[in-house]
Amino acid sequence: MAEIKQRSLEEVKALSVEEAAEIMRQAGIVGAGGGGFPTYFKYMKPLPHLIVNATESEPGYWGDKLLHKEYLEEFLQLFDALKTIFGFEQISLAVHEKDREWFAEYQDHASDGVYDVRYVPNTYALGEEKTLVKHSTESRVPRFVNNPDGTRRPGMPPDVGKVVNNTESLLNVYNALFLGKPLTTKFFTVYGEEVDTQVCEVPIGASVAEVLELAGLDVENSGHLTVLDGGPYLHDMAIAELGKGDAYVRRMTNSLFVIPEGRQGKEYAEIETECPEEGIVSLVGKVSGVNLPLGGGLLKPATPLVSAGDEADYEQKIGEPVDEGFSVGVWASMGGEISSIENDIVAISGGAIPQEEAEAEAEATMAGGSQPRGEAEPFQEAGSSR
Amino acid sequence: MAYVITETCIGTKNTACVGACPVDCIYDAGDHFIINPAECIDCSMCMPECPVEAIYPGDEVPDYLEQYATKAAEFDYSNVAPGVEIN
Repeated sequence: MAEIKQRSLEEVKALSVEEAAEIMRQAGIVGAGGGGFPTYFKYMKPLPHLIVNATESEPGYWGDKLLHKEYLEEFLQLFDALKTIFGFEQISLAVHEKDREWFAEYQDHASDGVYDVRYVPNTYALGEEKTLVKHSTESRVPRFVNNPDGTRRPGMPPDVGKVVNNTESLLNVYNALFLGKPLTTKFFTVYGEEVDTQVCEVPIGASVAEVLELAGLDVENSGHLTVLDGGPYLHDMAIAELGKGDAYVRRMTNSLFVIPEGRQGKEYAEIETECPEEGIVSLVGKVSGVNLPLGGGLLKPATPLVSAGDEADYEQKIGEPVDEGFSVGVWASMGGEISSIENDIVAISGGAIPQEEAEAEAEATMAGGSQPRGEAEPFQEAGSSR
Repeated sequence: MAYVITETCIGTKNTACVGACPVDCIYDAGDHFIINPAECIDCSMCMPECPVEAIYPGDEVPDYLEQYATKAAEFDYSNVAPGVEIN
């Protein structure tokens, strides 16, 4: 089966459907928009139309827009390759009406004929695929459909020949197919009360409290703040009282939203944020530890390939997907010692630069503009950075 | 366009839709639940939750159920709180 390695556009185009889907599975790619559905499964049976969700799902988010701005060339190559591998008749980039100007470059390149740009109403549909299909095409996902066994299930985009993928999920597909990079990081927006709006790329499994500290919050003295993993509408509680307890960055974390304790996320439905001037800030190599889930949600736990006490390198494979149900590969999001494997969570500690230095560097990075990815990544192997 | 709760909710009132709605736009209208079209963000999350398939996208409501869309548009929401009525 095809290995995860660097490939040229022509080499990627030469992959079979099965090979490309298997690379996605091994690379650990799941729906980054919040659903966590394994991406490979959407591609195992080719369908005519790919819809790329470029609409932010919640008020205040900037992640998807910044990714499209920063990785234009990568997305163009990816669309080209996906069209060849999976035989898509059409690829459509679905964009909010209000973001026409932001996506002007994509509109320019659409004349090449590889994809088109479709504008959808400026509502936050919370990543709901059926709604995006309705707004961007003439098709309607059926409300319910009959299963062969006579039971009924809710309709899904594949029922009308559509694959819907989140922006970041597709960037992760690019990384795996073209760069040979597995999934180890998550992009998300940090915003809310008492914190400047930032879009960060963070190692999966990093401590939420540590990320917020690096983002400039005085975590220890912020017990009056609550942190939500998500936006105003849809979220999980990350930390009820900042400074007490912690949570970890998930493959589906799209935001750390900071609000005063006792307030409801929905009270911020009208929130508007400014695009962070510095672009995307990378915290790769800057956190002191990670807790990496081998499974969770829809995923059966991967089989650990390491034991407590082992040393793991950055981007080393630490979990092999199982063949039963949905399962994906798991890769070390930082280098360091495996401190424990408990409850299907692999903990890696150490290896990060000292905390004070990390804070100083993060401050400099956030104040002084974005750095090229890879520069501050001590565990990155040569040739594997974007 | 907002979603509409229709006839099969009557006698069922399962409440799963109420729990699924991220913007609390589903109200108890007595016989059945009702979606306030002014608050619905058209996200579709309620629709697959309904065990009796009572919920339709606004532009797909069958003609014979259109009265429920009309009722939702004309309903006075000022005296009811979103969610499940607790007696």
